[in-house]
Formats: sequence, structure tokens, C-alpha cells
Amino acid sequence: MSAEPVIEVVELSKQYKDIRAVDGISLSIPSNQIFSMLGANGAGKTTTVEILEGLRSPTSGSARVFGVDVAKDYRPIRSRVGILPQNFEPFDMLKPTEAIEYWAGLFDKKVTRKDVSDLLETVNLSHRKDVVSKKLSGGEKRKLGIALSLINEPELLFLDEPTTGLDPRARRDLWALIEGIKKKGSTVFLTTHYLDEAEKLSDDVAIMHKGRIITRGSPEDLVRKHGKLTVIVLAGAGEVGLKEVTRRGIDATLESDGDLLVPVRDPTEMRQIFQKLSGIELKVKDMYTRKQTLEDVFLSVVGQKMDEGVLGK
Amino acid sequence: MSRILADTIAFGKQYMRSGVAMFFAFAFPILLILIFGAIFSSQGEVALPLPVQDLDEGPYSTVFLNILANISVVDIEVIPSDVDISEYISDESLLVALQIPADFSSQVGAILADASAGPVNLTLYGDQTTSTYGTMSQVVQAAIDGMNYGLLGESPIVGFEAQSISLEDNMTFMDFFLPGVVGLVVMTNTLYTITSICAEYKSRGYFKLLATTNIKKHEWLLSKFIFYTVLLFASLLLTFAIGQAVFDMTSSLTPLAFAFIAAGGFLFLAMGMLLGTLVKDPESASAIANAVGFPMMFLSGIFFNLDGMPSYMQAISKVFPLTYFNDGLRATMIYDNTEVALVNLAIVVVLGLVFFVLGSKLLSWKER
Repeated sequence: MSAEPVIEVVELSKQYKDIRAVDGISLSIPSNQIFSMLGANGAGKTTTVEILEGLRSPTSGSARVFGVDVAKDYRPIRSRVGILPQNFEPFDMLKPTEAIEYWAGLFDKKVTRKDVSDLLETVNLSHRKDVVSKKLSGGEKRKLGIALSLINEPELLFLDEPTTGLDPRARRDLWALIEGIKKKGSTVFLTTHYLDEAEKLSDDVAIMHKGRIITRGSPEDLVRKHGKLTVIVLAGAGEVGLKEVTRRGIDATLESDGDLLVPVRDPTEMRQIFQKLSGIELKVKDMYTRKQTLEDVFLSVVGQKMDEGVLGK
Repeated sequence: MSRILADTIAFGKQYMRSGVAMFFAFAFPILLILIFGAIFSSQGEVALPLPVQDLDEGPYSTVFLNILANISVVDIEVIPSDVDISEYISDESLLVALQIPADFSSQVGAILADASAGPVNLTLYGDQTTSTYGTMSQVVQAAIDGMNYGLLGESPIVGFEAQSISLEDNMTFMDFFLPGVVGLVVMTNTLYTITSICAEYKSRGYFKLLATTNIKKHEWLLSKFIFYTVLLFASLLLTFAIGQAVFDMTSSLTPLAFAFIAAGGFLFLAMGMLLGTLVKDPESASAIANAVGFPMMFLSGIFFNLDGMPSYMQAISKVFPLTYFNDGLRATMIYDNTEVALVNLAIVVVLGLVFFVLGSKLLSWKER
């Protein structure tokens, strides 16, 4: 593992006409990690990634990839970087084998039939190699996109919302693929608005909101730092339950679906809190404990759930 | 070079799999040649209908109608003598109709006896601003002159004979038309396609993707140029072969004709790339390409000779690059005039280079 960070961003900003898409973020990402940038639509993730890919110019600050200032000249690192853009669409009338040969040619790389075949095998697309791309499913197209991004055996791979719009099975397939890429030694920069995806895949997560990184760490660190470790869920307790519980000095929050969450910060308090709760006459559908996730962290640091939309808040 | 080759092959495969694109490269010029050839190649045998109402039905009106019938460009259609000619014209939507008055023969007889009594007039109905009326009035006048000379026992002193102005013997309309079709095919296949490709590449993010690879903008355009040059050479050869086989054309495929195809392809690709800087989506691409392509199509001498157009229209046509392409191609293919062809070729190449430099500068693959 190299000591020099693969990505080094300092006070990076991007101002559009009336929107500050990226607002003075700083990042340093070491090699061979899966780094996830988490945020709702419009948080500034794609703008950040496209600056790092040399596709947009920053308004201020610096962005270095492999030590190269990408705003000035991206060319020296082109062959070391793979990119799957947001909403990737393959060339409709090319078959996967042809698309891979084409993309290899654009990187001045000679590939044999076996190379192409191996790459298609890696992304589990061999059975569709001779079908024109417009006939591929959404997940297959995304897999082809990843195959293209891997053509130059990149040390750094940018995956911008790779699983958006895919069904659960296709998402899981892609997760396995991304984990496999990391195992081969590459660094992966992933942007996503799926919290479970970031939690499952990432070594390091940054939550971005309104152009700023508002917290960062491993998923476990973030849960420890911003979450409450474990919660007791009183399903369907509602407003009445919240009133009864807080009247007895127990901290609780009410979720929009009517579930009441009672945090347990210290595991030794668990028995005591349960005893208190059992003494209250509550109408609940179910009562159980749940470990907190990045979703709870996101709720805690951003102030609302991802699916409620953070834009314009 | 490997990047250009890879892009040419990939683009070619996609193009070949697109039925619409192949139609415009091969079927479209052949259809144009066949349709226009069928319409115009036999125009000497076409007779225009001339409805005539003979209210006289006497000996002199019969003589006049015989003279008229001998003029090959008209085909006399009889209007019954018992109908009102104005109503008949309206009912039958006629553009023109000739009426011979009821006392035509008796008046002609009277004039022959006493010249001071004449003349007796025929009436030609119709819209005098139309070309049909103009043609028919000349035909009728010719028949009247013929009858006057005959009745007076005189022969005309001055006449004329038709002689083709073409430098080649047996030149047909198709010889003139084929270079125009080639110009049209070169323009539609490159200008329209590349403008719409720019729109597609922008909206689907392909330009951004390409920007992350090693290929450069001029290499990308060069690969399109290579592909279209080969494609248009094939299209020209096929169209020319069919034109020769069906219409017995006398124009020839010179090396300069191929140089024009290559230079024209480059010019309109570069122009399309420049237009591509203005488009944002496929809809706007179509609108912008049509806004530029349609005036060129009709004002650059594809379908007809520009010499017959008003002088201001001829001046406008000089603005369009397709005019120089057509003029040059005709100069080499029909008139074998290398000097004129080379001047036009130089103009096409220079314009292509100007558009290419501007397009390369202005078309950005990245976001601002």
C-alpha cells in the first residue's frame, strides 16, 4: 500500500450560476480502499467526482489524483483511472465484445480475444457477449460499463451511482463485483445514495450535504460517533407512546411510520430500560432491539431521512 | 493511429447496423436518380393539354386546329361548343383554355376579301402570371403565325433551329442531375448525421466518456471522415453505375470527382461538428441541421440550374458551400473543365478547414 494518497482534495469548491454545488471540501483517500461518498441527489457528489475525473473545472481549491492536479492536466493519469459515469449508457449498436475492443483501442491497449473473454467473465456477462447493447437489461448495461472502466486495469476506479435503478439481485451482483475489484488491489471511489450499499462495501464513508462533507469515517465509526449503538423499537407506539415514555424520563424519538425508537447508549442499561418500558401500558405491534445503521447516522447528521429528500431543505 | 482505427471500426459497425443510415447512403440516391430520371429524361415527348372550344366549326377554324395539332408540345382537348366556357374552366379546374369565336371562318373570309376589316381574335383564358399560360400563348401565337403565312401565301424569312448547348453529344438531364444528387447525399450523410451524433453524445454522456480516454477531438472527427469517405465512394460508384445502366449517361467519373467526395465529406462533417456546438438534444439537432441544410438543398443547384434564378438568389447561393461542391463536381464530371473544378475544390477544402478549426475549438467534450 502506497503512503501517498491516491486522491488529495483541498478546499475544493464549484460555483454554478446560482448554486454552490461543492463548498470547500477537503479529502485524502489512501490506496486500496472503497471510499463512498454518500448523499442525496443534488448534494454535490457527481460534481466532485467529475472534477476528480478531469471533466469539470473547480471554481477554487485543488484536486490531485496520483499527485497530478487534474484541473490543469488530466492526461498523465488517464491510463491509471477507470470511470463508470452516472446513468451510464453503452453504445446501442455495439455488442459487449465489440465495445470492449473499441474501448481498449481508445486507451491504446491491444487486447486478445481471451482478454475480452476474461473481462466479460469478470463482470459475469459472457452469456450476453454477442447481443447488441441496446438489448441488455439495466444491470447488464451497468456491468458492461464496469467492464469498460476496467479495460485499462485501473489503479483507481470511479463508480458514480453504479446501482441506481437496478433491482436487488442486480445490485448484489454489482456489490460482489466491486468487492472483487478491491481485492485485486484497486482503489474504488463510489458515490451512492443507498445507505445499505455504502455500509456494505465501504472502508471509508463521507456524508455530503449541500456541497459540504458533514461527517466522515468508517461505517462503524460513524455509527459509534453519531448513532446510539442499539435502539429498542416500539413498533406502532405513535404519539401516545412517545408521551407516555418521555413522561417517565426515557429518551425516545418518533419515526414518521409511527415507530418509537428508544436509544440504549450503554448495553448495561438495556435491562433497566426494558423493565421501565414493561411497566408502561402501551399499545404496540411489536417490540424488538435493532443495531443502528448508516441510515440512522444520516438521519442524525442531516436531520432527515435520505428518501425524504434533502434538497431544498 | 490505433485510436482512429478503433473509432472508425466501432462507428462503422454501429452505422452499418442502422437501417436508416444505410438507406440514406445507398437507397436514397438511387431512388432520387430513378424518380427524377423517370420524370425529366423523357420531357421532350411530353405534350401539354390545351382545351379548345370551337364555336365556329367552320373551314378556317378546322385549318387552325390542324396547324395547332401539328405542334408537338400540345395535345388538343375539345370543349363542347354548347357549354359556357367560364363555367367549364371553373368546373374542370383548367389552367388555360382557348376559344375560337362563332363567326371565325366568316370573318377570316371577309378579311381575305378586304384586309381593312381584320383582324379576328381568338381568346385564351387563364391566369396570365402562370408559366403554363405563357407557354400556351406562345404556342397559340405560333399557330396563328403559321395560319397567317399560309393564308397570305408567304413563307417566313427568319426562323430558328434547336441545337443542344452541351459539350458532350447525347447528354441527358441525368448527366446534370447526378452531381447534384451526389452533393445532396454527401451533405445529408455527413452534416445531418454528425449534428445529430453531437446531440446524442452530449445527452448520453458519450463525449464525457471519450474525454476520459486517450482519443482526441480531431482524431474522433478524422475517424468519421475516413468512414464516410469510404461509404460515399461506394455510394457514388453504385449510383453512377445505376445511372449509366438505366439512363445511358455520358458524364464520367474522374479522379477529381473522388477528390470532391472526400473534400465535401470533410467540409460537411466539420460544419456538422460546428453546428453540434449549438445543439443540446436530438430535437434541437434536427431543427438546426434542417435550418442550414434545407436552404442549401434548394439554393445550391442540386435540382435545377441556378442561371434561371433571380440575381439576388444567385448571390445568396454563393454563400452556401454546397454550391461550390456542385459547381466543381459538374465541371469535372460533365464538362471536363479541370481548372474550374480545382478552383471549386480549393474553396471546399478551405471552407472545410475553417469549419474544422472553429468546431474543434468550440465543441467541448467536458463541462464548464
